Amino acid sequence: MTQLQARGVVRAYGPTPALRGVTLDLAEGEIVAVTGPSGCGKSTLLHCLAGILRPDAGEVTWRGHRIDTWSEAARSRLRRTEFGVLFQFGQLVAELTAAENVALPLLLAGTGRREARTAAFTWLERFGVAEVADVRPGEMSGGQQQRCATARALVTEPRVLFADEPTGALDTLTGEQVLTQLVRLAREQRTAVVLVTHEPRIAAYADREIVLRDGLVDHTGLGLDVPLAGGAR
Amino acid sequence: MGEVSTPHVLLGLLAGGSRHGYELKRAHDERLPRARPLAFGQVYATLGRLERDGLVATAGQDRVAGPDRTAYALTDQGRDTLDQWLSTVEPPMPYVASTLFAKVVVALLVADVDRARSYLIAQRAAHTARLRELTAVKTDPSATLSDVVAADFAIAHLDADLRWLHATLGRVADWHREVHP
Amino acid sequence: MRPTTLVRLALAGTRTDTARVALTALSALLAALAGLAALTVLAIPTPAATDENPNRWSEQYHNALLVEPGLRGGTAFALLMLMIPVLALAGQCARLGAPARDRRLAALRLAGATPGQVTRLVVLETGVAALLGTLVGLGAYLVGRDLLHRPDARGQLALPTDVLPSTGALVGVVLGLPVVAALATALMVRTVTTSPLGVSRKAARERGPGPWAGLLIGFGVASFAVIRPVVHRFDDSEELAWLVPLLFAVGALAAMIGVVTGTGWISYHCGRLLRRHARRAPALLAAGRLMADPWAGSRTFAALLAALIFGGAAAAQRAYFATKDQLEREQSRLAGVDGGANPFYLSTMDLVDGAVAVAILIATGGLIVALVEGIVARRRAYAALVATGVPRAALSRSVAWQALAPAVPAILLALTVGTLLGRGLVAEVSTGVSSTAICEATAALCDDPATREQYTRIVHTPEMRRAVPVPLEHLAWLGAGALAAVLVTVGVGLLFLRASTALDELRTA
Repeated sequence: MTQLQARGVVRAYGPTPALRGVTLDLAEGEIVAVTGPSGCGKSTLLHCLAGILRPDAGEVTWRGHRIDTWSEAARSRLRRTEFGVLFQFGQLVAELTAAENVALPLLLAGTGRREARTAAFTWLERFGVAEVADVRPGEMSGGQQQRCATARALVTEPRVLFADEPTGALDTLTGEQVLTQLVRLAREQRTAVVLVTHEPRIAAYADREIVLRDGLVDHTGLGLDVPLAGGAR
Repeated sequence: MGEVSTPHVLLGLLAGGSRHGYELKRAHDERLPRARPLAFGQVYATLGRLERDGLVATAGQDRVAGPDRTAYALTDQGRDTLDQWLSTVEPPMPYVASTLFAKVVVALLVADVDRARSYLIAQRAAHTARLRELTAVKTDPSATLSDVVAADFAIAHLDADLRWLHATLGRVADWHREVHP
Repeated sequence: MRPTTLVRLALAGTRTDTARVALTALSALLAALAGLAALTVLAIPTPAATDENPNRWSEQYHNALLVEPGLRGGTAFALLMLMIPVLALAGQCARLGAPARDRRLAALRLAGATPGQVTRLVVLETGVAALLGTLVGLGAYLVGRDLLHRPDARGQLALPTDVLPSTGALVGVVLGLPVVAALATALMVRTVTTSPLGVSRKAARERGPGPWAGLLIGFGVASFAVIRPVVHRFDDSEELAWLVPLLFAVGALAAMIGVVTGTGWISYHCGRLLRRHARRAPALLAAGRLMADPWAGSRTFAALLAALIFGGAAAAQRAYFATKDQLEREQSRLAGVDGGANPFYLSTMDLVDGAVAVAILIATGGLIVALVEGIVARRRAYAALVATGVPRAALSRSVAWQALAPAVPAILLALTVGTLLGRGLVAEVSTGVSSTAICEATAALCDDPATREQYTRIVHTPEMRRAVPVPLEHLAWLGAGALAAVLVTVGVGLLFLRASTALDELRTA
């Protein structure tokens, strides 16, 4: 069942068009990779889908409601309750410990302090970084930081996780471990994932792939049933 | 990807103690999960050659009962050969010998840019599909480390191919001009 | 490196850099004005003593602070004290956009620039900006003294617009301030210039600042308290004449440093308390920040706290003068005359209070710059939080917590210390036994030396002592003013927070 939809989404930064009419459906629990060369509009599409940016034209609907017309406060609430967001790096609050960082979304949602802390520990354990629970991001390795950030993105058990180059700053093995864990947990709790990446190896974690070029959908890879000769363009 | 040296793999599997032919086949398929499965005939033919060269010897005396009842063990000479193989570095890609590469070259020679391009696109789709399939094996919660390591080997090679396919797609027109000046 | 390259690289900055340069120039301008005003007061010539003017007063001015040669030194000192908040403001401005600049400088170092070249770049930026500021300041001063040169009906002047400091002194201010500013900046960027990688990853501060700031405050208050006994004891001793100004300067400095560093301690412990008891995310975010960098509070509030200490001491002093005036009036009333209130010292205190108000105003400027700088420097982190659905209101609350939680106790501390300093000097007013000859008759009879004697009687008044009350109302006003300044700052900061959480920031990874 489709829960998130983009219809003809257009978005420009000043005179530079980033998206020129992108249409996309995201089903419940589905993992979709958005790929393409640098500057093709991948991140902008993710921001529009997540309600972080408002498209200049086109619509974004969440379970039948147009969210692109919602106020910033309403979209904030949606992101906090239904979505999780994960970036390449730098989204942890430098002054808070790992456990406090992971507990943050729960505290914002009004969960009690103790309960939030327990949940944070559980999630840190799932990503194998329980030992840095009381350490601040500056003292962790890049891999530990990204695991904490992933734990924070999933701690609210969101319906959709938006991940923008989540392994971009990690070495191959660490990146794979983080991603494998992310995909397993997402499948377990039926969280859909929009995975922005420029690496085919990372995109392969998805159920299907959408390739953007110059702000338009270039082609979609739908798995094994792609015709093996001609026409894919 | 180069050919697997089956004789050396069998020698390696015998290093832990004597085994019957069918045990060797099972061990092979288990340890090299993503390799092409060995046929029984191939196992016995290889063992015969190894015995002839004095690298293995029959351990059981039950020869008459047929080849599947015979156990084989590593000889000292066999152990030396295995040691030597293990301490030799494989030559890193001595020749660019890939059907993939050759096919694009031929497509450019005998046909036009579009033909080469549509082949590259189709190949890219097939590679991507295989990549996704192997990644799914890896992320399966029941996957063993053997599965993961084997899948990773293939994934890394597919990934390299895919990068090449992608870059070549961007260059194919210029390349065609170079081939047909 | 050619000069053109140097200039080109010095100008290669963002809007934040432009703002920093403009603010540096502005604070140099203010500092130059304060310095020039002080020098002008010092340049007033003291006339030779004559029969009409035995006190060597400069009669061409209204204001006692300018007229009496004994008061002019203090006036100039107060004007120089005004430079403290100005310099603090300059320090805050220098930090504006500093992380981005440090990155740029580190990039230049990585590209092969020597430490000397990078330092020259920074020194050039600050020096030229400050020089522009002092030059404009000099212009404003010269134009201002011309415009304000308006003798009243009696030919008296409100300000010393008739004198000019020596050329050497003028040049000293105009060139000296930029040199000092440039040297200070060179000192600040030394970490960047030594390592092309810029600032290294900082190890966590596991323990907060120690409570040794309390010792400094205690020392400062104690040295003020002993000034009076010292004066009594060594009244005539020439050798120990230096002791009083020394106690004064060292005590004031110790108390000021104590309060400012004590704010670090307060910040850290506020953060700890908040962290332990915070139920909501904004308080937790603020707590994390307060504990991670407790000195941020010290830096931010330094000028404001210095102004408040000064203000607190001045309030105590004013209470002393008011009590003294009242006591003297009562004494004269006992003697049967009422001279009315003597406004001289109180009007002088009005000027001091005015200076405190100006200092608080300038300090607020520094506060705004510091808070905005902190927000702008964290804009990526803020934008990332907003992207994950943290409401801007929650971020605003965390900024407010972060500013107010240490500010309220720090303001109370500064006012208390200031009052203690002031009261250490003067906690009690006493008048000695006095006797006055009073002629109780008509003016004609009293003026006649023959008849005056019989109508005159000597009135003895007893010794009177009275404790100086704590000027609670005055202190409350000061505290309210300072708190208002912090609130205004938070308000301005929140405006910048809105801009800093614009999600375009996410693109500048």
